[in-house]
Amino acid sequence: MGSKNKSKTADARRARIEEMRRADAARDRRHRIFAITAGLVILTATVGGGWLLFSAAEEEEQAKAAPVRGEKTWDELDRDHVEEDVDYPMTPAVGGKHNPVWANCDSEVYTKELKEENAVHSLEHGAVWISYNDKASAGDVKALTQRVERTTYTFISPVSGQSGPITLSAWGHQLTVEKASDARVGEFIDKYVQGEQTPEPGAACTGGVPA
Amino acid sequence: MSGDLRRWWPAALSTFVALWLAVLTLVVVRTEPWRSEHPGKESVDAGFARDMAVHHQQAVEMSFLVRDSTGDESVRRLAYDIINTQANQRGMLLARLDEWKLPKTSREPPMAWMGHEMDHAAHGGFRMPGMATDAQLDELREAEGKEAEVLYLQLMSAHHHGGVDMAKAAAEQAEDRELASLAEGMVSSQRSEITLMASMLKKRGANAG
Repeated sequence: MGSKNKSKTADARRARIEEMRRADAARDRRHRIFAITAGLVILTATVGGGWLLFSAAEEEEQAKAAPVRGEKTWDELDRDHVEEDVDYPMTPAVGGKHNPVWANCDSEVYTKELKEENAVHSLEHGAVWISYNDKASAGDVKALTQRVERTTYTFISPVSGQSGPITLSAWGHQLTVEKASDARVGEFIDKYVQGEQTPEPGAACTGGVPA
Repeated sequence: MSGDLRRWWPAALSTFVALWLAVLTLVVVRTEPWRSEHPGKESVDAGFARDMAVHHQQAVEMSFLVRDSTGDESVRRLAYDIINTQANQRGMLLARLDEWKLPKTSREPPMAWMGHEMDHAAHGGFRMPGMATDAQLDELREAEGKEAEVLYLQLMSAHHHGGVDMAKAAAEQAEDRELASLAEGMVSSQRSEITLMASMLKKRGANAG
């Protein structure tokens, strides 16, 4: 009787110990699962969040560097001062050899065509040239004129020889739009007035050939 | 098994923390969140830099005009001073905009950054405080001798009053400490020039008009 009780107690104790060990192991496993899961979540959040920040910053930089949609560009334009007329490969001209005197370009409104050789010099000084022909509506010409009147380093003039109704030109960059309400007008102005493309930053838009 | 876990638990944890710190460092260094703390497009700093650059440019222009119109040494010297100071300061202002990668133009009317509505009618449309009109510049261009001196001193006094208002607002509200300091300098030097011009006008039998 006694030994049977003894072995029963022993069994019971062993069973209890087994159970404690199982509970322990289960608890350890739960803790491990929790820790690993938590760790993975934190890591994913950090990496994911970091990647989001990173790509947002990249996007911002790229947007700033991106050209205006639809613009044409020219590289390696000549900058010499010459007295004679120049045959420019684009109309209106966006760069190349030009006259030693710039056309006044600080909110300047020209109602007659001006010499491209003077206008190109103004582009060298960082001005944006807005030009129109008779395909542009009178309302658009008025709106653009008003814009030039309140925007520094811009000038406006008719250019009958251009292909589109409204063209914006900066040194090495040109955009043609159909209407003055095109959002890219503002984008071009923001980007190129005294912008990074300016070969001669700090140069004047007054003291040249008047309108 | 649980015994093993207890042994490699600290090692695993430290590795994990180290990895996490490394990733964090990489992210911070690459995105440079401190750098995007430069003033924004419509901030006081940017607005002041843009508008004051234009304002200064006109003062330079007026000063060249008067130097061509008179032989009077004191007026020519004042004009020389204004040309050099304001042209240089304009360069400094434009450089800050380049640094912050902001455009030199804005869709907002001038002085919008000052935070109060400008009375467009009273100030003739999109004109900044104290700026001369094209007609006034033409008048200065055509005047000669004493007439040119008086006109210049009157126009420049009004110009400086406007400039002081702008610079004062920037000195008080700009985020960028160097810009605020530059603006403060403008306030004091333009104020003293206003006093000088008042006495020069008095000597010529005129007042600030």
